[in-house]
Amino acid sequence: MSQFQYSDCQFPIRQDIKDAYQEYWTSLSLPGNWWTGAQRVEIAQEVRNAYSCNYCTDRKQALSPYHFEGEHSCSTSLPAIAVDAIHRIITDQTRITRAWVENNANQGLSKEAYVELTGITVTLFSIDEFNRALGLNPEPLPEAQSGEPSLHRPQHLRDDIGFVPTIPADGAVGEEADLWPNGRTANVLRALSLVPDALRGWMKVSNAQYLSMEGMGSMFKQEDRSIDRMQMELVAGRVSAINQCFY
Amino acid sequence: MLRASALTNQTEIDIQGVNGDASAAATGIEHGEELMKFAEALASGEAVSLSESREALLAKAGGNVLVDAAGVAANFQRMVRIADSIGIPVDNMETDLGQQVREELNLSRFATSKNTLSKS
Repeated sequence: MSQFQYSDCQFPIRQDIKDAYQEYWTSLSLPGNWWTGAQRVEIAQEVRNAYSCNYCTDRKQALSPYHFEGEHSCSTSLPAIAVDAIHRIITDQTRITRAWVENNANQGLSKEAYVELTGITVTLFSIDEFNRALGLNPEPLPEAQSGEPSLHRPQHLRDDIGFVPTIPADGAVGEEADLWPNGRTANVLRALSLVPDALRGWMKVSNAQYLSMEGMGSMFKQEDRSIDRMQMELVAGRVSAINQCFY
Repeated sequence: MLRASALTNQTEIDIQGVNGDASAAATGIEHGEELMKFAEALASGEAVSLSESREALLAKAGGNVLVDAAGVAANFQRMVRIADSIGIPVDNMETDLGQQVREELNLSRFATSKNTLSKS
């Protein structure tokens, strides 16, 4: 793959970061569990459309985002309900509610499709944000591969946290046995587990951008990183605070 | 995690750096002020301040630090959206350290606190 070479970049980007991004790009182009490859690439395109969507900008200023009429800047054939979800996750995520997710499910955006869409949206966004942080243009999106979604749904699910069913701590078995690093989990890992590949996708990128789940257990500087854990957590904390994230 | 890493490393820090206090960010953390401002600029979406803070961090700390900081900042641009899109609650609200940090940073002011506090 010729993407993510960063050959013109003046900064020393680690090889594991390039590898993780390339691997994600390949998976993005393939059929997922609930969306085709073409739809997955369109979801990625809508993430980018959200960056400059005037309706999103205006809606973010509105007292309530749920009673604000308008149209998103959209260039894909995705259903309007999916486009709205993608744009909202990027530009106004703190006002997402259980009622909105439930209502979307009743209107045709199933919770499974929502979770896969969320996984693509946030992972693509984090890769684009890495480039933006370094003053680099976003990478061209991959060519979609043909095929049908697998419709895979984990066997063990529970409705005890968040707005969607998730795999419980003791439910990662069979095809999902690899999901919890060292057999331990947390709500942020469980969050997208309704679509296990969505979790697998962001975790691989996270291992390179931040730390592996195993690495997170140590509060000391990791050998292959240039910043220590306190520096990392200061950056993480400031980003989270600006985003008004309680979690 | 910032407080926990500081305790492990036996370093005195000031967690108000998380809320944007530049001198607090510099307390006990190498290049803390530049790292904090770089993270803030990325998350705020302000192109000019991002460019300025990138140059400042690069000049002070070098390219390797800049790249790793970009990775961590980009990672948390994703993580906050996973948490809020799915509405997950904080795993354990009972630890003393967690309670102390949430109080000191006044995190309950955030709207997404309802995803945790409405279940407590």
